[in-house]
Amino acid sequence: MNAARKLPPSLAGEGRGGAVTVSHPGSRRDRVLARIFHRSLPQGRARARRLTGLGLALPALIFVFAFMVYPVASLLLLSFQEYSPLRSAVTSFAGLANYVWLVGSDLVHQSIWVTVVFTAASVAIEMVIGLAIAVLLAKLVVELRSRPGRLLTGLLGGVFILPFATPAVAGAIAWKTLLHPQFGPVDALLHTDIAWFAQFPLASVIVADAWKMMPFVLFLMFAAVLSIEPEQYEAARLDGANGWQEFRYLTFPLILPVVAVTAAFRAVDAFTKIFDTVFVTTGGGPATDTQVFPLLIWRTTFDYLNFGHASALAVVAIIVSALLGVSLLAIRRASST
Amino acid sequence: MSVLARSMSSLPRSRGRLGWGRLGIVAVLIAAAVATLAPFLWLFVSSLKTEADIFAKPLSALHAPTLTNYASLFQQFHFAVATLNSVAISIGVVVISVTLGGLAAYGFSRYPFAGSRLLLTGLLITRMITPAALVVPLYLIMNALGLLNSLISIILGIAVLNLPFVIWVLRPFFDTVPHEIEEAGLIDGLSPLGVFWRIALRLAAPGLVTVALLSFIAGWTDLLFPMSFTTTPDATPLTSGLLQMQTGYKIYWGSLMAGGVYITLPTLILSFALQKYLIQGMRLGY
Repeated sequence: MNAARKLPPSLAGEGRGGAVTVSHPGSRRDRVLARIFHRSLPQGRARARRLTGLGLALPALIFVFAFMVYPVASLLLLSFQEYSPLRSAVTSFAGLANYVWLVGSDLVHQSIWVTVVFTAASVAIEMVIGLAIAVLLAKLVVELRSRPGRLLTGLLGGVFILPFATPAVAGAIAWKTLLHPQFGPVDALLHTDIAWFAQFPLASVIVADAWKMMPFVLFLMFAAVLSIEPEQYEAARLDGANGWQEFRYLTFPLILPVVAVTAAFRAVDAFTKIFDTVFVTTGGGPATDTQVFPLLIWRTTFDYLNFGHASALAVVAIIVSALLGVSLLAIRRASST
Repeated sequence: MSVLARSMSSLPRSRGRLGWGRLGIVAVLIAAAVATLAPFLWLFVSSLKTEADIFAKPLSALHAPTLTNYASLFQQFHFAVATLNSVAISIGVVVISVTLGGLAAYGFSRYPFAGSRLLLTGLLITRMITPAALVVPLYLIMNALGLLNSLISIILGIAVLNLPFVIWVLRPFFDTVPHEIEEAGLIDGLSPLGVFWRIALRLAAPGLVTVALLSFIAGWTDLLFPMSFTTTPDATPLTSGLLQMQTGYKIYWGSLMAGGVYITLPTLILSFALQKYLIQGMRLGY
């Protein structure tokens, strides 16, 4: 990094001459320029830049270290200890006991299975519906350029963002209301009295979550579709392609990289973060039928008050999160090239 | 415009068919919009009924809308305090995220240092961490610091999970600020911090709005940390306050519905007003 190269040509010329202070002794700008060029050799300046970068990032890094890195490290330690605050305030070394419990526990196996099913189904629904709406909406936006047309598409866009803007807690309450066996409109319309969250708990939770996160997929897909050159559509239309063929052979292949990254991101996100919706609607029940992994960790901590078990579960969750995060990065990289 | 008009007129044969197709698309989209809106709309309409009406006539129209459910939020369920707590938490998260995240994103964008790429990748991976996993050790730390049952513990927990996301979203905004302007600022005698404050922040303002909005929503909607770190009403925000309406033996449906609408309104209004920024955040944040 040559310092002079980064300057506007006129200034750089002066600077290289090294005679700034001589030719214009009075002006402030020139004194500063002189200071920069005489005092900091290229290497020193580069080091100063690096230090500046580190300095700027330092507060955030310290914060993340104190409340994320250090807790995770202490978690690792805790996972090898027996610690049940209710029984005893003392922790004792437990070796691999917590992990042995984890590997053998039906509760854990069930929880992992429930989380996998939840993730796969929820993401699949979001992707299909989100993509369909995005493609149709994009078509409309491109074709309707009149004032009422734009009003319509703007209004639709505003409506579709609503679930995303709704706090998960409120969304969960809405779905509880909607699917209530006594006063829910769904049962009333179907003339049934199914207690959806009790009889079909996992499916109900999946629907509620897919509703909440569908806008995320929709708007990412929408942007991807709109970024396709209109000429490509004209060519397809001149070739006599119908709507479906246009989507199948033109739109979809072109946005496939975005589709893949979005689906991967949503899957990782759903797998690691699903909590609020399940907690408010079923609480993990009936029994443990919808006890997704984050909820299992939480219940082990605060309901069963077994911090040792909870720590082992949390360590597994973090390892899985990290692996998923790394593979997500790999997918991003692969799809952007 | 004229180019577009000409290109359209070159396809006269598909005109009429497209009209019907377009109508079909509009119909499908409106149906989808109604379905999307329905859960919240239903919640809103039901929240205006009395508890007796909610149970008696599920599908009946709204005869005599009443605000009793909303009044009960404040009379029975400490919603005045909870609202203040939620506001305080959200503002706390915004301040920490935007200050620390802004500085760090700027540092990563403008002054890369040895290992900064690795740190950035690490930060992206921490975004994938299961929040519930962090609750266990954070609970013990907050306990040791005497911060349980205070808003500070909640703010710190939400902020630390939000910060990597903020850095990730904000960095591209700083990348687009032209170097020359900042170089000029440096030459005019500003320190790097001065350049950040006077030049870069202003030019990256849309990014700041985006992360401030998303940080606010993160603070406003979080349930996990309040539920884990507090048991006193003094430090209970709206999210966990709402859940006190569904106790083991009774669910206060009317209040629960009103509370659901109440907690949604701020994020809803902000999201509509700042829709552009929200969508930008979605696109950059993943």
